[in-house]
Amino acid sequence: MIPVLRLDGVSFSYGSVPALADVSFAIAPGERVALLGRNGAGKSTVVRLIAGLQRPDEGTVWVGDWDTRDCAPEELARRVGSLFQHADQQLFASSVRDDVSFGPRALGVGEREVERRTDDALEDLDLTPHAAHHPYDLPPALRKLAALAGVLALEPALLVLDEPTIGLDRALRARVTRGLLERSAAGAALLVITHDLTFAAETLERGLVLDRGTLACDEPLAALLGDATRLEPLGLEPPPVAALSAALDLPGRPVRAAEAARELARVARGRPAP
Amino acid sequence: MRSLTLEGVSFWYPATDSPALRNVSLHVARGEIVALVGALGAGASTLLLVAADLAPRVTGGRLTGSAARHDRSGIVLPTPWTQASGMAFSVWDEVAFGPANLGWPTHEIARQVDRAIEQLELAPLASRDPVTLSGGELQRVIIAAILAMDPGLVLLDEPAAELDADGARTLWRLIRLLAKEGKAVLLATSTLDALPEVADRVVWLEDGAIRAVGPPDLLADVAACDAGLGTSVATVWRTSGLPGPYPLTVAHALRRWR
Amino acid sequence: MLALALVLTLTPGAGSSPGWRPGLVVLRTALLTAAPFWVFLLVLHDVTTTVAIGLRITTMVASFVWLVAALEPARLVEAMVAAGWSASLAYLFGATLSAVPVLKARAQRIVEAQRARGLSARGGIAARLRALRALALPLVLSALHEVDERALALETRGLVPGIRRTPLAPPPDTPVERAARWALLLACLFALFRRVM
Repeated sequence: MIPVLRLDGVSFSYGSVPALADVSFAIAPGERVALLGRNGAGKSTVVRLIAGLQRPDEGTVWVGDWDTRDCAPEELARRVGSLFQHADQQLFASSVRDDVSFGPRALGVGEREVERRTDDALEDLDLTPHAAHHPYDLPPALRKLAALAGVLALEPALLVLDEPTIGLDRALRARVTRGLLERSAAGAALLVITHDLTFAAETLERGLVLDRGTLACDEPLAALLGDATRLEPLGLEPPPVAALSAALDLPGRPVRAAEAARELARVARGRPAP
Repeated sequence: MRSLTLEGVSFWYPATDSPALRNVSLHVARGEIVALVGALGAGASTLLLVAADLAPRVTGGRLTGSAARHDRSGIVLPTPWTQASGMAFSVWDEVAFGPANLGWPTHEIARQVDRAIEQLELAPLASRDPVTLSGGELQRVIIAAILAMDPGLVLLDEPAAELDADGARTLWRLIRLLAKEGKAVLLATSTLDALPEVADRVVWLEDGAIRAVGPPDLLADVAACDAGLGTSVATVWRTSGLPGPYPLTVAHALRRWR
Repeated sequence: MLALALVLTLTPGAGSSPGWRPGLVVLRTALLTAAPFWVFLLVLHDVTTTVAIGLRITTMVASFVWLVAALEPARLVEAMVAAGWSASLAYLFGATLSAVPVLKARAQRIVEAQRARGLSARGGIAARLRALRALALPLVLSALHEVDERALALETRGLVPGIRRTPLAPPPDTPVERAARWALLLACLFALFRRVM
């Protein structure tokens, strides 16, 4: 099967400042991948390269069988939905609803399909009550969520999201997780940049770590998040649930809250009451 | 010694009927760290704007009750990239923009700027052009820029949102240090797991009103867990059906488990 | 002709940016901006008048383009503060001068966001017009929104009226430059005087 995304020896620099050096990885349809690393490690550059807003200095970014060098961003939008870093500044319509429907409309799908996609995306992220609001009337965190809805409405094969959960409360983060899991179950691949490792653990399954522009790590996320000694030199810290599993030595070292709770209950039942 | 006193404060944004804050009474003492928690839209950001004397003075709207500030305040907004001056050639100049506006003598500006840059571990970036910084780097620069103005009351809205683990650790340690120096700190955050180590008091806001105030143990409370405001460890404990009181942190859990 | 010669001598980056290239860019921008005026003048007047007025307009446009190209807003703010102006007023001047690049960056962000959501600006005139219309309104609205946001942000950075800002690194102001400025001002007044008399 052709990967949805393949970076092949990609290097990129901003003028004389190097951002990425010889980065290679591939993502299969439906795969859920976290892109982790320190501030300034080059993560946001990856998003811009995949969206076709920058071209690699060396190497190739393949979106399916398209070389991004030959494609304009608006062509890539048929396959990739990208949420940029300061997405709250990327809303441009006069209501949340119009903004979310902008993408499918620009892609030229039928009006009924535009409506369906818009409704689905708003519903998935709990934004229906805000649909009529002007984006600027919303707090920054909700603006980012509205931008995410606009990306979901493209219904692309690949979602590339830069920090989708900043400032969200736990209920909305769970909502984002659920929305993304649904999209993934329907076949969309996810590449998510985040510092929120709790969210990453709940939502994603594979971890890539960028360290000063090079790919330092590519492995199952659960194994990585449970290993404090390996995370530390990469500038990462185990999320609390993973730390709890490790500290209590829960079987299977779960990193997701529900699984940890289940294991905790199971082990506690087998122990004499304190 | 109080730094901020709010008495029965209600606040309405312009052209809105329902208040963003309802009858909020809160005081923050010098040397104290108070954390505001709550669902999105519960009023934490608005409360910080009121504390900073920006609402209603700059935002417009209407305030009832009384808000008294006993120290000069400094606020880091949830969108720090909008706070950059756009008039600086380097990170150092950006951090110095505020102190210069306060009209301090040059040597005092240099002292405060150097200190803030050191506190936020920005020395390697000091000569960089601010427009070339990543999101997390810029967030640290803006925090330094506000601290360089030496505010007695430090107001932080989601200050760790874009920071990596190292940056967040540095920030939380710095906040404790600021309190030790006698500054009052009021912060809004959705990073609940950091609070047991950081906050002296937690204020739980719901729909613009204060629902509960207490030590960080509040975040292991049954009601807080059910409202999505428990720490991760407390929430796992509650979900597992084990009896309370729930542990707040991994260290607490380990003690309980043994 | 004298006017154009003057513009040409003054344009090449004068001091701040060495080499001919920035000067040529300034000249090109100025000529492009002035070109429509020449067309209108030629329609309305005879050749002599067209040249006379056209050169004047070109000189004015070129001087302004030159100013914007050579002047770093941040340095202007420092210089004005050092000269005793209030920081808020200095910032107003600086922000006005940097409005064009700021607006350009904002437009680029919006266009990028729209293209990443599938809006094509390529193709025939119709597609370009559609893309332009899709850009115009959000650009104006977001700029207006930013005015509020900037007011709030600048307050948080201590930019409030009534405090005298400390100049950080004001550009040097030599006696020669000061004398030249006064001389230019006097020359203007003299020209005005001769004109009126």
